[in-house]
Amino acid sequence: MSEDQHSPETPENAPLHGVLAEYNTPGEILEAARVIRDAGYTKWDTYTPFPVHGIDAAMGIKMTRLPWIVLCAALTGLTTAILLQWWTNVIDYPFVISGKPMWSIPANVPVMFELTVLFSAFATLGGMLVLNNLPLPSHPLDLKERFAKATDDKFFLLITAADPVFDDKDTRELLESTHPAVLDDVPEDRQTPDKLPRFLVYGMIILTVAALIPFAFFAKARETHTRDRRIHVIWDMDFQPKYKAQRENPLFEDHRADRLPPEGTVAVGHLKTDDHLNKGLVDGVFARTFPREITASAETIERGQERFGIYCAPCHGYSGAGDGMVHKRAAALQEAGVAGSWVPPTNLQQQTLYEQPVGQLFNSITNGVRNMPAYGHQVSVEDRWAIIMYLRALQRMRVASLGDLTPEERSALK
Amino acid sequence: MATNKTKSESTGHHDPHDGGADVTDSVKLGPEGDYVMKLAGGIGLGFLVVSIGLGAAASDGFKQFFHSYLVAFMWGLSIVLGALYWITLQHLVNSKWSVVIRRIAELLAQGLVLMGVLALPILATVLKHNDVLYPWLNHELVHDNHVLHGKAGYLNVPFFLVRMVVYFGFWTLLARFYLKRSLQQDSTGGDAFRTTMAKAAPPSMIAFALTLTFAAIDLIMTLDPMWFSTIFGVYYFAGCVLAVHSTLALSLFWLQSNGRLVKSVTSEHYHDIGKMMFAFTIFWAYVAFAQFMLIWYANVPEETQWYAKRFEGEWLAVSYLQIVLHFVIPFFFLLSRHIKRNPKTLVMGAVWILLVHFLDLHWLIMPNFHRGGFSFHPLDITTLLAVGCLLAAFILFRAKQVSLLATKDPRLKQSLAFENI
Repeated sequence: MSEDQHSPETPENAPLHGVLAEYNTPGEILEAARVIRDAGYTKWDTYTPFPVHGIDAAMGIKMTRLPWIVLCAALTGLTTAILLQWWTNVIDYPFVISGKPMWSIPANVPVMFELTVLFSAFATLGGMLVLNNLPLPSHPLDLKERFAKATDDKFFLLITAADPVFDDKDTRELLESTHPAVLDDVPEDRQTPDKLPRFLVYGMIILTVAALIPFAFFAKARETHTRDRRIHVIWDMDFQPKYKAQRENPLFEDHRADRLPPEGTVAVGHLKTDDHLNKGLVDGVFARTFPREITASAETIERGQERFGIYCAPCHGYSGAGDGMVHKRAAALQEAGVAGSWVPPTNLQQQTLYEQPVGQLFNSITNGVRNMPAYGHQVSVEDRWAIIMYLRALQRMRVASLGDLTPEERSALK
Repeated sequence: MATNKTKSESTGHHDPHDGGADVTDSVKLGPEGDYVMKLAGGIGLGFLVVSIGLGAAASDGFKQFFHSYLVAFMWGLSIVLGALYWITLQHLVNSKWSVVIRRIAELLAQGLVLMGVLALPILATVLKHNDVLYPWLNHELVHDNHVLHGKAGYLNVPFFLVRMVVYFGFWTLLARFYLKRSLQQDSTGGDAFRTTMAKAAPPSMIAFALTLTFAAIDLIMTLDPMWFSTIFGVYYFAGCVLAVHSTLALSLFWLQSNGRLVKSVTSEHYHDIGKMMFAFTIFWAYVAFAQFMLIWYANVPEETQWYAKRFEGEWLAVSYLQIVLHFVIPFFFLLSRHIKRNPKTLVMGAVWILLVHFLDLHWLIMPNFHRGGFSFHPLDITTLLAVGCLLAAFILFRAKQVSLLATKDPRLKQSLAFENI
């Protein structure tokens, strides 16, 4: 940053930082490193243009502790991911997504994986820097012009004067015995300022504060209410063309939501060609027989009885005599003068209805008759026929005589 | 050059000062190869006969036999296919560390010839329209099932057989190509064969990826023809890579304990094999979970039914065990470099992986047959021993004839001197 840093001149009075030996081959520096290691030195280092295999052993460097740091960070990341998702999904903001349980592991695994990897990566980088005493903004060797060759084709070994075994004379002799190409003194660096430049310090403070601003907004948003419309940075699905109840439909020119089927088409399952089954008509007149699709069985009659009880009996009564609950209540209200005119439901137990074709009964249920509303949309075709079959049984019951029973049943009655 | 020098000085394993590769090592199989080959061949044939007997005794129309056999077959196939992939990969990336091991993988890949023969019983069931394995061969089922009817254009007998011929044909040719060129290199040396093999690698790798994917789909996925998963081929591939690295570690350990390749293969090479076993343990879990999570999240019946079968009865316990046995245990076991650099501990991991890989295939295949719960049958073991031992005997038969080291590869020096940083 300042001019004097580039100056190769070093003050004569600067104390000794260490002794630097220079070698021409990796083999030489490996050999030298073993000698220094065996002499018991601890505060020294080697500098090579590329990773030299075996240098760790030659220098007596122990296996790095970094893997353990990374393992701890990985487990921390895993735990963080689990707690983060558990707290946000279960405690802080429970919200059902896709019908899954609030706390469901499979959905959380990707984040568990990512945070494990993220924490590991940061720990690897950070741990490597810390274990290597990095970053190192300046070093006395930076002032050695010769040392630039450490990034090219020379191999250096530096023993610092701070080493407990260091001796001004013995150390030089020891290094001399390893046959370095050059042996040189490295003075302490008295030129580089000890403190970080002001702009760097202020810059970092400002950046740190700025980085906290978004979090301040988050914290405020969590604790306050507002009447302002939210800001849609990303629209997601907040605005999408679709029909909403009681509004115009923006999707079609005529703004209608209900669409008519295209001309000349019939929806699947709505093509009804069998008049006997669907309209109770045979050759245009009301059928006197049940359609082929309806089987006369106890099952059908039971189904009819059930449906009759649900849809017919409230007015017509369980016996079909026209005395259902609704009728009784309406008649009572009319008598008390509370309600207006009530047309009583038809008594199904009378001769005209005994003789009415089943097709006509089917038509009455489907489309309604006089005051009776249409039930076609509520009761399926099969159920309508089942109701009629049950009604026929109900009517037959009224005109039955003892002679209709079998001898066994008759004897059972006695 | 620097690498060589430091290596020799730090470990003293070999002497590269002459600038030539060290071939003073023992690189030919001795009597131990003969002995194990005969032993394995005998055991393999014996258990094959026992398996057929047990299959007949089960009197279920060989259903149990064929399902057990398919598991064992896919297990053996995964090793040799993994070897083929491994060779192609080394040539694709011009890998140097692996040259000392390459011949072993080339020999393992020769097992594809035997696997092609062992595939014949499976292909016979298809040829005879017998739905003992594959439900899509059942005419009534396909006739009544709209989806299967739609898939008949792919799942039909002639096309299936044609595909199998293409797969095994291509794999066998590729395996033979690499061994042949590699042996030619042994006699002539030089760079010519290295280039030939390297040039074949990219198209072979693409063709390999496609054939392996479709083979996994055809042989395993169509056991449940209604189900589909696009990642299924990758799932099987992950197992292949795990299997081949485990087998490589085992083979090297056995060879070295018999005095072969002791100078050439060092803990550095074991370390790299171990790293791949570790990496692909994670890869397997990643793929297995990716397949599961998407199906779990979407919750579409046609996809979840496959997992539903594997969550019934004891299969649920096996599914959970898969996570522990196939991922958690090997992950933490192989995490340490000391484990990977020690051949003895690495081989323990390799045996473990080969066993859980077998369990994985069992879990993939058996629930289609044994619905409702885990089932063990003696056939599961006898077919595995039959396929495994026959494969070992076949590979040893080929291995006896050749050098165990690619002695004239121009990268051999670098491979011998290889050292992890």
